[in-house]
Amino acid sequence: MARYGMALNYKNCINCRACESACKEENGVLLLKDHYRIWVGVKEAEGQFPNISIASQTYHPSQCQHCDNAPCQQVCPTNATYYGKDGMVMVDPNKCILCTYCINACPYDARYVDQRTMTVDKCTFCSDTRLAAGETTTACQATCPTKVRVFGDLDDPNSEISVLLANKEYRQVKEHLGTKPKLFYIL
Amino acid sequence: MNTISLKKLFNFEKTPLNVVMAFVTVALVAAFFAGAVNYILHGHHAYNVTRQHPWGLLISMYVFFVVSSTGLCIISSIGHVFGIPEFQQIGKRAIAGAIITISSGFAVIGLEIGHPVTMLIYNVLTPGLTSAIWWMGTLYGLYLTFICLEFFFLAIKENHTLSKIFGICGLLVGLAAHSNLGAVFGFLVSRPSANGVFYPVYFILSAMITGCYLIFLMYGFRYKMNFPEKVAIMLVKLGKILGMLLAVLIFFEAWKILTALYGDMPERAATILHAIKHPNFWFGELTLGMLIPFVVILLSNAKAIKATVYASLAGMVGIFFMRYGLVHDTLLYPMTTLKRAEYELAPTFVEYFPSATEFAIGLGGIGLSLFLYYLADKIFNLDETAHH
Repeated sequence: MARYGMALNYKNCINCRACESACKEENGVLLLKDHYRIWVGVKEAEGQFPNISIASQTYHPSQCQHCDNAPCQQVCPTNATYYGKDGMVMVDPNKCILCTYCINACPYDARYVDQRTMTVDKCTFCSDTRLAAGETTTACQATCPTKVRVFGDLDDPNSEISVLLANKEYRQVKEHLGTKPKLFYIL
Repeated sequence: MNTISLKKLFNFEKTPLNVVMAFVTVALVAAFFAGAVNYILHGHHAYNVTRQHPWGLLISMYVFFVVSSTGLCIISSIGHVFGIPEFQQIGKRAIAGAIITISSGFAVIGLEIGHPVTMLIYNVLTPGLTSAIWWMGTLYGLYLTFICLEFFFLAIKENHTLSKIFGICGLLVGLAAHSNLGAVFGFLVSRPSANGVFYPVYFILSAMITGCYLIFLMYGFRYKMNFPEKVAIMLVKLGKILGMLLAVLIFFEAWKILTALYGDMPERAATILHAIKHPNFWFGELTLGMLIPFVVILLSNAKAIKATVYASLAGMVGIFFMRYGLVHDTLLYPMTTLKRAEYELAPTFVEYFPSATEFAIGLGGIGLSLFLYYLADKIFNLDETAHH
């Protein structure tokens, strides 16, 4: 069994948001406010004209961190949120009671209420769409023009992501909370 | 238990206070059902909850009701379980109140949980044992069963031994359930302003205070401020207990705020500072909920029963703001992880104001409680019976 994670060369991001569109298209995410599985955050440029630090403006693509120790899974009263195969955090819509406790518990704002199923939805690393069809990439990764994302098996030492993480410095988000996130931002 | 005709059931003395109470009750019950219909038609779209603020007024009102229920159960146990003679007279009235308030709470939360039937099924089939909500919900179900049995053996088929046994069970399970409700917030590692030991302990304390307020209100209404001596003696003692509990609560709150602000810890300090500057806190929660009742009790040495009844009304309004603040303040700080300017808008504190439907259902729940209490008062003899 694999343990999937994603590395992000976020400094390559040009904020085109093709990833957001691809995600919505691939996974049928509705075009409504608050309906997004992934997003691109913008850190505005610092300084005042004319001394603006162009280098300080960066873009931060993000999504569910598929934590190994996921707070959303711990708080779910019916185990609707569960660890799927390959270490991904998944939601069983049949068991979800829409208490939205998981939305409160997620430190990454990665969850939202899907108006189609009226359950709490989240990124699945395209496991029920692309991966189920035999693909090895996620929609956001495949569409990215600057190849920000690298998706793969963290337990396979020869996978592209493992090699990248072994050779590059990276940081994780809010790892001090003990969530063991599986998104890695390459520095 | 009284045998009563339907005509007699809805016949009451037409004093101005009774008429006002009847009007308020009918209006609130109507609001509850109107809100429920709107929710059934439009689902969560009828509410102002969002991805950033997924819990709103209905969760606050659920907490409000279950805090009231647990508080009444704890205060009734002073006489009924622990055997303090002066307090034995409140047993039936308080337990009836506990059943009524938690039932209203369940009615409100039933219209907030998206899939209540799924909850009943999968709470049993695939229980989430690491979830504070699972423990809270399950224990509250058990608690309701115990206090219903306690009331049955207190008011319908009198059996002091059995009522005491179920009273002890209800008290213990209620305390466990209620501290788990605190843990629902306390366990949130994602929310530094709520995370920690404070809420599970504070919930028990604030429940006891709510229970005292409600006893004062129920007895104030029952005796129309002309208290028999036996009741007056009990209420003076209860006032002293309430004063002490309020002092402890003020002490707790002060240290919670100071601890949160000290050191300017990211997320926590800014959130609490924002919360305490809002009138909901300093006027609603602090002035109405704590200071007015505390000052009345302090200045009168708890002997001004009538003033304490009025102060309890202010106190209950304050308790409402406490519950609202509990939910809203927990969700105030935006989870802007790497979303420093999401869609060009700089993140600010999350804003939320309940929709008309949320107000109708949430406050309508109070109408349900008032209506059920009226029925209970008519059908059962809630005053002390001879064998006590």
